[in-house]
Amino acid sequence: MEIDKKKCVGCGNCHAVCTMGVIYLDEDGKSVVNQDECVECNTCYRVCRSEGYRPWVVRGIRKLLSVFRLGYLAELDVCPTGALTPVQLEWPRNVRALFSDPTTVHPGTGVPGRGTDEIKTNDVTGRLRNGEAGLVVEIGRPGTGAFFRDIEKIAMALAELKPHFEKENPITQLMANPDTGKIKEDILNEKVLSAIIEMKIALERIPEFLHTLEKIQKEVDTVISVGIASKCLADGTIPHEVWVRKTGYAVSLNGKTNIGLGRPLFRED
Amino acid sequence: MTNTLHRQGTSESLENDYVIFAHTAKGVTREGSAPKLQEFMRICLKYHPVNIGDGKQGNIHQDDVDIHKLIMNQGDGAGAAAVFTDLNTLQKVIEELIKADLGISINISGLLDGVQKCCRNAKIERHSVEHSLGFWGAKDRLPEREILEFNTMCGHGMVSFNLIRKMIEYVKLRRLTPKKAAKIMAKCCECGVFNPTRAEIILEKIKTGQR
Repeated sequence: MEIDKKKCVGCGNCHAVCTMGVIYLDEDGKSVVNQDECVECNTCYRVCRSEGYRPWVVRGIRKLLSVFRLGYLAELDVCPTGALTPVQLEWPRNVRALFSDPTTVHPGTGVPGRGTDEIKTNDVTGRLRNGEAGLVVEIGRPGTGAFFRDIEKIAMALAELKPHFEKENPITQLMANPDTGKIKEDILNEKVLSAIIEMKIALERIPEFLHTLEKIQKEVDTVISVGIASKCLADGTIPHEVWVRKTGYAVSLNGKTNIGLGRPLFRED
Repeated sequence: MTNTLHRQGTSESLENDYVIFAHTAKGVTREGSAPKLQEFMRICLKYHPVNIGDGKQGNIHQDDVDIHKLIMNQGDGAGAAAVFTDLNTLQKVIEELIKADLGISINISGLLDGVQKCCRNAKIERHSVEHSLGFWGAKDRLPEREILEFNTMCGHGMVSFNLIRKMIEYVKLRRLTPKKAAKIMAKCCECGVFNPTRAEIILEKIKTGQR
């Protein structure tokens, strides 16, 4: 995202909306984006609708009001002059938008967002079958963002355990080598709002993976949201619960339930 | 996507928070899904969701979004979502979706016991479940609990910590009503899974010093 300095009046509305908190007021009183830290989520552009005022009019009014020590309480979700300017992104920077802007559809997955369908369509795809667990590691969420160099550290640690990385997942597709978890060199310094590593493992290997994650989490300067899923037994029992508890972790009271209305239902042979 | 999985809050607060979404699988149920997704949204709309939308077209709290046009323009796509604030309504929506037999996958994010009860009342058994194992890593970078409660109501994290802080501040100073502040936050969440009613309740409590 860029801010057109000819238009910006320095109202600061976009500063708070910025998901990464990286828009600030420059020496000249106009807003500027820290390009190293911007994840190209476009939230500022979508939320702060342009009021289309002429910059000199807004600046004049603001100046006049300030003489009388008055301020103008504008709406919070507007850009008075339409100064926010999305730019055409090229590789490797466009990776930022692919992972951070939910209106962008990943070419590889066909799904908007950062991961794949996971259990959302498990009733028709059979992605997770009896005896299997899906481990979902979202790096950078909530609200801190992540560089691919951090994502790579976690991917490489988990790859040592030889999981089945979900092949349609955008991170798997950006791995130079899925056997090692190594990410393509040219994107390591790109930052995203968050990215999800998805893998399938046998239920009994849950402790091993969680212990590995426990160790590697200390080596990254970002937060990680972890999720775990499985196909329920015929009576509705959740098979991964017992393995998670055995490992010493608590599961959340809330979660996601696929209620099994997809057709045709996937049947295991 | 783990997008609605990590919603934070006390069980009392989460009792007002159920996201139901239809999802299609590429090469299986996506192709020709437009009328099914439209019907899913019509059914949800009938029960007055507090939010409804899809990632492509936005949600009802955004400027210039007309829900009827949004449904009409719904093409074959990944899915759509709606938010309800009580189990009784959710139960009715599930029952109507079973009757409609759309054939696309339906998921619900919320308190798992409540959702299971709804499924059993409707004579179905849940298919798959995903749990959150919480936040790991550099947790010292996370803000206080209330801010996380708002932030995690958008699965893609589009409601920034700073905006939430500003909304809380403005509500405390009575520059904004909790309703208006909740609507501004809901506007940021493209897919329509943010729960503005729950946000309003939390803001109301903050405003009167109860939190």
